[in-house]
Amino acid sequence: MNALRDRGNYAHRLEFGVRAAAGDEYDAERSVRQAVLAEELGYDVVALADRPDTTGIDALTALGWIAARTSKIKLRADVLTPRDPALLARTIASLDHLSGGRAALVLGTAAGAGAAGEAVDVIRALWNTSRTGTVRYSGHFYRLSGAQPGSPAHQVPITVLGDDDRAAADLAGRKGDGWTASYPAELSLGDAAVVIDRAAELAGRDAREVRRELLIRGGLGVREGIFTGSPAEWVSDLLPLVVDHGVSGIVLDLTEVDADGKDLLTRFAQEVVPALKAGVDKVLPDGWQGRAVRSRAALARRAPGVDYDDVPADVAEVLEPGDPRYRRYRGGYLRGGTPGIVLRAETDDQVVEALAYARRHPHLPLARRSGGHGISGRSTNAGGIVIDVSGMNTIEVIDEATRRVRIGPGARWMDVAAALLPYGWALSSGDYGGVGVGGLATAGGIGYLSRAHGLTIDHLVGVRMVLADGSIVEANEVENPDLFWAVRGAGANFGIVTSFEFVVDVVGDVGYAELTHDASDTAGFLVDWGSVVEDAPRALTSFLVVSPARRGQPSYAQSRTMVDSGDPETVLAHLQPLADIAPLLAQQAQILPYAAVMANAADQDPRSAGEPVSRSGLLAHITPEFADAAARVLRGDAVYFFQIRSVGGAVSDVDPDATAYSNRAANFSVVAMGRDDASLDEAWAQLSPYFDGQYLSFDSSLRPGRLEDTWSPSTLARLRDLKAKYDPDIVFDDNFAVLPTTTEKDN
Amino acid sequence: MTDYGHDLIFGSFVTPVSTPVQRPVELSVVSERAGLDVVSFQDHPYMPALQDTWTLLSYVAARTERIRFTGNVLNLPLRPPAVLARAAAGLDQLSGGRFEMGIGAGGFWDAIGAMGGQRLDPGDSVLALEEGIQIMRGLWDTSQPGGFSFDGEFYQVPNAKRGPAPAHAIPVRVGSYKPRMLRLTGRVGDGWLPTLKYLPEGITSLAWMNEHIDEGALAVGRKPTDVTRYLNIDGRFSQAAGGLFDGPPQQWAEQIADVALAYGISGFLLMSDDPADLELFGREVAPLTRELVAAERD
Repeated sequence: MNALRDRGNYAHRLEFGVRAAAGDEYDAERSVRQAVLAEELGYDVVALADRPDTTGIDALTALGWIAARTSKIKLRADVLTPRDPALLARTIASLDHLSGGRAALVLGTAAGAGAAGEAVDVIRALWNTSRTGTVRYSGHFYRLSGAQPGSPAHQVPITVLGDDDRAAADLAGRKGDGWTASYPAELSLGDAAVVIDRAAELAGRDAREVRRELLIRGGLGVREGIFTGSPAEWVSDLLPLVVDHGVSGIVLDLTEVDADGKDLLTRFAQEVVPALKAGVDKVLPDGWQGRAVRSRAALARRAPGVDYDDVPADVAEVLEPGDPRYRRYRGGYLRGGTPGIVLRAETDDQVVEALAYARRHPHLPLARRSGGHGISGRSTNAGGIVIDVSGMNTIEVIDEATRRVRIGPGARWMDVAAALLPYGWALSSGDYGGVGVGGLATAGGIGYLSRAHGLTIDHLVGVRMVLADGSIVEANEVENPDLFWAVRGAGANFGIVTSFEFVVDVVGDVGYAELTHDASDTAGFLVDWGSVVEDAPRALTSFLVVSPARRGQPSYAQSRTMVDSGDPETVLAHLQPLADIAPLLAQQAQILPYAAVMANAADQDPRSAGEPVSRSGLLAHITPEFADAAARVLRGDAVYFFQIRSVGGAVSDVDPDATAYSNRAANFSVVAMGRDDASLDEAWAQLSPYFDGQYLSFDSSLRPGRLEDTWSPSTLARLRDLKAKYDPDIVFDDNFAVLPTTTEKDN
Repeated sequence: MTDYGHDLIFGSFVTPVSTPVQRPVELSVVSERAGLDVVSFQDHPYMPALQDTWTLLSYVAARTERIRFTGNVLNLPLRPPAVLARAAAGLDQLSGGRFEMGIGAGGFWDAIGAMGGQRLDPGDSVLALEEGIQIMRGLWDTSQPGGFSFDGEFYQVPNAKRGPAPAHAIPVRVGSYKPRMLRLTGRVGDGWLPTLKYLPEGITSLAWMNEHIDEGALAVGRKPTDVTRYLNIDGRFSQAAGGLFDGPPQQWAEQIADVALAYGISGFLLMSDDPADLELFGREVAPLTRELVAAERD
């Protein structure tokens, strides 16, 4: 115990809760009133005792209702009599999603610690979606035979209700995230701690992985024993429990209080809690706020070569491979990853700190992550450092008259579109709302409004960024204009942009069509589509995906086309030539806000594995020769995804030397994805003679010569000079890194 | 050809997708705003792509004020009837009497078994459903003295305290398709809740299915009108007139009125996750249909 106390008394954050009325004799709404009041008073958690054997409100039902009527407080089901753990896992997972990650679970041991332990296993197995496949479990009490897992929104803690049960304390030590018990009880806190701590040790866990909580009953007024009397007397009752016994949760049990217990709830929150926190702050080194403790299992997953003791104290979040939230940031949407550490930065200074940490680890790969969709910008790595800026996602209008908007690199384009909609504005990005601003807006941005309004970078008027040496600079036409030039097309070479300033366009409702054409004559279709798009008014931008004939299905082409007009006649007139190219297999056209088209991404953890293999090329025209070659490539099996995006129009209006973008004369951007580099390169070689330049964001290749393929000699020479000036040590060696003279040694 | 003369109700059948989690909630609010009478969700607890329907019902109930809500239909094999009864009564109290019990015997037995549920053959599942309904009604009935006991083949409830009493008489609607289950629906159900696309021979099946329900009702001395009949329907709104439930709102109204008058269906729940469809259904189709049916009944 002494050793534990030296470590800060388990160092858990002190939390306060209310166990609301449930069970017999209470009207259904009392628990709801108590929960809402508890939230208003700042309690951390409201617990409802689940007692299907009684006729009170069903706890899980009431928690669903309370979730809709509260926004901050944690919602805990204290399941005292056994329920089917599989259905319970589903219910709690849904409650967690609906409530935005506020669910918690307590399991009682009324059917014995053995059954409760199996229930913990079953629930955790069903919540674990990091493994593929279905869940099998064969216990004495519960069986699963191929159930599908589904995770909650966050790591939902499972606490074991102990009371006087040593077996329950033992279970809490072995498997629980916490232990809770009524106090006072026959099993002393000291004895319980011995059981819990020993069980934890034997299970290879750190005793600090198990929170200790007490359920208490009492009243304010005349002193009649423990938890009665004045607030000061309560504090002197509670303080030793926290300081000497490592109790970090105190839950007021109102289930046997007459009426709503409003007075007790209020006075406890306002008079006892602050005094107790102050008392704890005086005694414990980490104070009432405590300190996060990583489990032994998590520590075992640390990567070699990462100095975990030296992580910057001030970043928003540090995620290690063993942390629950790591999986949300570990990889991208097209790439699996196993970084050794993820540093999440939400301010300029935090980016500076994170970058300094990365520079102290020159032997480790460094990835920068905004939305996690990068292909050439890898967003992740194996065993290295990821600086994640997804939390820098603010979108603010800074001048309505000039349509100037400031956007953080972590904002997603669907959120940008939604934020601009009320103003009648839009900013063309790509075709997927889940993509982050940072990667796209430093590379180009070939989107649904490209021909009408240009690339995303063409709307950029300034950035603030952190350079390789940690300095924070502004870059625009006046300040650091050379850097501002480079950021628009090769930004990844020069730093981490922490804020973008754009001038956005006035865009009303748009026409949007999804057409599926028969493309049996693939080459003919490509030529016709190309010429129709080139001849179309600039208001029209079309993206085409061609799928080869497979398993008896003919080849078909799916196009997604936007017309920058809300007038049905105009939209129809623009679309008609496209529709007429070949027999239509399916069609859908509507007029809707640009933001509605972009609202096409789910907010899910990335699940990708492996590496994307893709090639990009910019093309002047779809000539019959190119189309023949493309049709040939599609007939082979090297390419599983083939897309052509129309550019030209407003993109070509911009002076080629004004930005570091590859080739503004091109009318088309072509991308192919394949299974491996060798076969894709072989197929791509048939197409590359037709290309001039490439859209670097879509090319995963590390081949020598790719820089020369991307940029003109003059642009590349200028980029090399700037790289030498701004990143001489090549801190940013990912995403078409411009090395001093040759790309040969780049991998 | 039967019209049982029930008042018409209109509702939505919304997919309880897990992602985005608030989507079914928003569609419920849209349903209420569109003037629909009831919002409903399918229940497949073994599918993590769908939310837990019970939790969603409770959440939606708290986010709406007027609309009634129901599982469409709840999966009895994974939801023990005694627990379900009490949960339902509590939710009915919280929501001011807006809960309705749509229940089914379960169908995807592999998935139910994978979750640890008991596999039943079709005949047993009919019996189990009947027991489940008796248990729910028994626990809801606090007018009877003493505890409630039930000793069935599939469910046992040894001397449980009755209650809580729901805020209103919760109607029990059964999702059923086969003769035995249809007769059970007639025997013990307050309502019937099938889905158009699962009817064995399309809309015309309603005639013989009704006969089984009526037979079941009459056999225990109930009237066929004691069982309201709802139908989940799917289709699309389009400018041009097309087939069944494929056309402009006026055509929908005419077709629904025909189904109501010819087959005695009084509740129509639109299977759609498109807010525009729900708006059209509630604001245009529902009043038009009510007018047409009222005119015919006069």
